[in-house]
Amino acid sequence: MVLEATMICIDNSEWMRNGDNSPTRFQAQADAVNLICGAKTQSNPENTVGILTMAGKGVRVLVTPTSDLGKILACMHGLEIGGEMNLAAGIQVAQLALKHRQNKKQQQRIIVFAGGPVNYDKKVLEMIGKKLKKNSVALDVVNFGEEDESKTEKLEALVAAVNNSDSSHIVHVPAGSNALSDVLLSTPIFTGDGEGGSGFAAAAAAGGVSGFDFGVDPNLDPELALALRVSMEEERARQEAAAKKAADESTSQDATMSENVGTSASEAESKKDDLMDDENALLQQALAMSMDEPAATVTTRDTDMSDAADDDQDLALALQYSMQDGAKDQSEDMGKLLADQSFVSSILTSLPGVDPNDPSVKDLLASMQNQPESEQKKDDDKAPKEDDK
Amino acid sequence: MSTESAAAAAASAILRNQVDLLDFIDWAGVECLNQNTAHPFPNALKQGYREDEGLNLESDADEQLLVYIPFTQVIKLHSIVIKGPEDEGPQTVKLYTNKEHMGFSNVSDFPPSDTLTLSPENLQGKPVVLKYVKFQNVRSLTIFIEDNQSGSDITKVQKIILHGSTVETTDMKGLKKIEDH
Repeated sequence: MVLEATMICIDNSEWMRNGDNSPTRFQAQADAVNLICGAKTQSNPENTVGILTMAGKGVRVLVTPTSDLGKILACMHGLEIGGEMNLAAGIQVAQLALKHRQNKKQQQRIIVFAGGPVNYDKKVLEMIGKKLKKNSVALDVVNFGEEDESKTEKLEALVAAVNNSDSSHIVHVPAGSNALSDVLLSTPIFTGDGEGGSGFAAAAAAGGVSGFDFGVDPNLDPELALALRVSMEEERARQEAAAKKAADESTSQDATMSENVGTSASEAESKKDDLMDDENALLQQALAMSMDEPAATVTTRDTDMSDAADDDQDLALALQYSMQDGAKDQSEDMGKLLADQSFVSSILTSLPGVDPNDPSVKDLLASMQNQPESEQKKDDDKAPKEDDK
Repeated sequence: MSTESAAAAAASAILRNQVDLLDFIDWAGVECLNQNTAHPFPNALKQGYREDEGLNLESDADEQLLVYIPFTQVIKLHSIVIKGPEDEGPQTVKLYTNKEHMGFSNVSDFPPSDTLTLSPENLQGKPVVLKYVKFQNVRSLTIFIEDNQSGSDITKVQKIILHGSTVETTDMKGLKKIEDH
């Protein structure tokens, strides 16, 4: 909970276009900056953070040290990439900005993101470091992006010159590995801030790993957390259903086969095993959960939604909820409606991704029906058609 | 700079009504820039530590030191004693009054209230009398040690003593004395 004023020096040079840190170095850097700002302001409400860019047309202060997190995050938008990083000028301007901070009781800290190459001599950097130490300014350097023997050496020398009883740190982030933010979470840049910082870091790390179930805080975003939980359950259920489905399908196949005349049905059913495992099971169980209806009816609904919803979990969820609402009110009616072959086929034709002639679709219908021969005959009609495909 | 007689007079003045201003230092606000954290300013200022010859205030990155001392009440500063080793002790010392949170970059922005050049005698403990008129209404004192005797990279200060009087209490005593007459 150290009372601190921090200036973050962002590198927006041409080297930040590179995609070795995903999605681009610049984006990874922006995420890391957001994380740091959050951590600082959270660890002590009186902490202030300011941001400046080191490249582009010249060193430019985007926001002077302020405790308003919204303002800080807002200024991160619309930044242009270009030019070369001017490390020395950036640090000096940061020092000046800190000197004119409003609350003189705050400790001074500069955090530098060094992505591009460093053009200054080691001597010059050491002089700058000494000056920072003299004015009791701490310095943290994040060395990422361009990797270069001399760059690493220079930055190490700079931090060593500034370092006063371990208040300054340097972190080397190798290219490509994890997100820049994740790597930084475990470093002294976060944890070195004392209890508050490490508390935030622990929470964020836990959120990313195992603390919150899905990396989303239910307090922050309950709807998202709910949607994630539901889809996770669907997935789990899908796994079980896949196994169960195989057993179910084989029994239902036998039943329909005994009633069907055509052998094509059996071919279709075997194909169905291959094709429908993924689609069916996923939605089948989800719908079973939401509707408490016989599995037979549920499979039809799977058919309805399978293609459309397969790609889009959110859509599946939405469909599920909407059907759930309807289902609870009119479960029986819906069951009858779906039992009506014509109704089902009309639905199927209206759905974009579903082809009623698709063998898998037909077989589902067949298994769903389990029913009167009149409908079986329609299956028979459809069954030969699939040979045309 | 003071002559021998003035120094003697100063010494007696100290004895008379000047006190060691140690009690009036606001310790929470004392800052020292460019100090070596292993040898911080309490070594030179605080009661027990400064008497210990072995404990010094040392500079870190270069030979300059900037000590900011706020007081709990307004004081008048009479003289100052700075003790240090013969070669690494301070030489040029500039004093600034009532300027908060100075940095090394703005020491040249305004003239100091007083500039002292310490001789080896001063470093032994001889007090330096200040221009009293300039130190009548002091809320905070900034001591800027610009260089040391030998020009080495590290400046060492063994003890700093401030002699002066407080404004309120002195007035009260003055009033009483007048009434007596």
